[in-house]
Amino acid sequence: MAAVIETNAPVTSVKLEGLAALKIIKHCKESLPTMVTGSLLGLMIEDGVLEITHAFPFPEPLDDKGDVVKSAEDAANADDEAAALEGHEFQLEMMKMLREVNVDNNCVGWYQSMYLGSYSTPNLLDSQLSYQTDLSPNAVVILYDPMQTAHGNLVLKCYRLTDEAVRLRQNGKNNFINPRNIFQEVPVTLSNPGLVRSLLRDMGDGLHDGGAAPMDGTTFDRLDLSTNPYLEKHLEFLCSWVDDLAAEQYKFQHFTRNLRANAGGDRKGRKAKEEMAQAIEEGWARNDAPKRMESLLMSNQIRTYCDQVEKFTGEGFGKLFLTSGLHKDDEKRAAA
Amino acid sequence: MAPLSTTYGSSPALLLNTAPASSTGEESSNVSNVVVHPIVLLSVLDHHTRRQEGAGRVIGTLLGRRDGETVEITNCFAVPHAERGDEVAIGKDFNRQMLALHLRANKLETVVGWYATALPDETAEGKFKFIADTSSLIHEFYASECEDDPIHLVVDTSLVNDAMELRAYKSTSVTVKNDVLANIFNEIRLSVKSSESEKICIDKMIAGNTPAGAAASQDENEALKLSMEKLLEMLETASTYVDSVLSDKITPDETIGRDIFESLNSIPRIRPEVFDKMFNDSLQDLLMVTYLSNVTKTQLSISEKLNASLGK
Repeated sequence: MAAVIETNAPVTSVKLEGLAALKIIKHCKESLPTMVTGSLLGLMIEDGVLEITHAFPFPEPLDDKGDVVKSAEDAANADDEAAALEGHEFQLEMMKMLREVNVDNNCVGWYQSMYLGSYSTPNLLDSQLSYQTDLSPNAVVILYDPMQTAHGNLVLKCYRLTDEAVRLRQNGKNNFINPRNIFQEVPVTLSNPGLVRSLLRDMGDGLHDGGAAPMDGTTFDRLDLSTNPYLEKHLEFLCSWVDDLAAEQYKFQHFTRNLRANAGGDRKGRKAKEEMAQAIEEGWARNDAPKRMESLLMSNQIRTYCDQVEKFTGEGFGKLFLTSGLHKDDEKRAAA
Repeated sequence: MAPLSTTYGSSPALLLNTAPASSTGEESSNVSNVVVHPIVLLSVLDHHTRRQEGAGRVIGTLLGRRDGETVEITNCFAVPHAERGDEVAIGKDFNRQMLALHLRANKLETVVGWYATALPDETAEGKFKFIADTSSLIHEFYASECEDDPIHLVVDTSLVNDAMELRAYKSTSVTVKNDVLANIFNEIRLSVKSSESEKICIDKMIAGNTPAGAAASQDENEALKLSMEKLLEMLETASTYVDSVLSDKITPDETIGRDIFESLNSIPRIRPEVFDKMFNDSLQDLLMVTYLSNVTKTQLSISEKLNASLGK
């Protein structure tokens, strides 16, 4: 099956196979601190469920490529055009080889590692847009966060662009769209075929340890109380992103003020006001108007950071009060 | 045990199931320990599930690192092959090309061996062989690919004993007067290890198998409760052990006693005032950050409203 199967049902949930998840995790972790990308292979089954069975990494771009390539269709490194050619050829080669061993070779999306939850960037938007327009409207991007996957949490999220966002980009207009409606999160479940599940059961029972520590080592990481590094990082990021957003807003202010001045804000009368309103609207449709999408993406990202931090502090409160409860118990018992 | 008469196209393979004695000095490789990552096992099972009709077993190449006495297997890929009777055909070009593609993405891995699933035994119904006569041919091919002696990993997918067996072998040749007669496959100790993030993913998958675990993996509080219950269980086990030693029911074991002593000592003794201060500090930090994030979100909605009204 080399062709992409077109279905009409939009994708509503993603079933990620353990093998693909482990491959993504391995690749992203090994390439720290650089952020990396790769391709997802799988199949769309009915009821809007997208099944992802395999993943493979994109290679690092070679330094000595002098050719310029025309299409950045499957380029995950959209900034480096020479890498796009490599990526495309690599992907075709890889898929051909995998075909020989009967792996599903439908490309259904791509994955990227993200740093502390930062995903809402123009690069990601453009790449996902090209996947959704060229490949299939059900292409998804899986984002894995190697930093936040600690203390027993697995941070693996799946997004796609909403139809509204796709339409807006294709129109090329500089219109407003609610930042919450740019990306749509698709729920991810981990699933495994039968043989793998039996292996997992054996591993869970500690059959393959060779005498080493048991595999349930992550259950106690959750009980860690240190909160500072996580909070500090988030606050740092929030500061810089809010600064960027403020700069963008200032650009808007500046532009509006110019428009108003050029349209002649001194004239009075209702007709003059209408003409001015129209001039302003046209002004925004011009090519040199500041792009709204960037500030919308920024506010989306800032909201994501705030949500992450709030979730974390919520849990932190719980753990802190539990610990203080234990300590008070100890005190009472020591005093008694 | 295969007979020693040579058949065309293969050198017989002898299987030794006993753990190897200390390596004799003349061996070139002194590998005594094999560590495999779960991704390799999942990949092998996936390949096995997707094998061609009529293929008894599947093979593939193992990639990883060799570190003195330990070989760590971190990645693998499938290789198409066909075997019939005593003859084996392996996709050599495929192997080379796939290896090149893999090395593009990850330069640190090298070929350390090959894997295979268990082969159904034609002679005995329902039994599976781990090593076949053709295995030694394949092993020779891999010996030419890999710098050092290749490791052979066998995954038993037949689930005959209600368990999935994993075995690792290394091979040495049996020579009589410089005539190679057969290959002996010695079993090596194998263990499954993974990095922290892999462990988290595996745990999630193991938890997803049982309904109680699946509920826990979704809800943070449930997961926290499970962790604390586990910790409590372990503490109770340790305390009952100490109690029974004190009441002379069990003979004391020094190492266990020392371990318990060390772990109890590792808990820092904090004076109440110091603890209260720490607690208040953390609490204030968390509260402040929550407040800041709320303020930021309010500002965001204002800025969105402004953005929406531009141009009107």
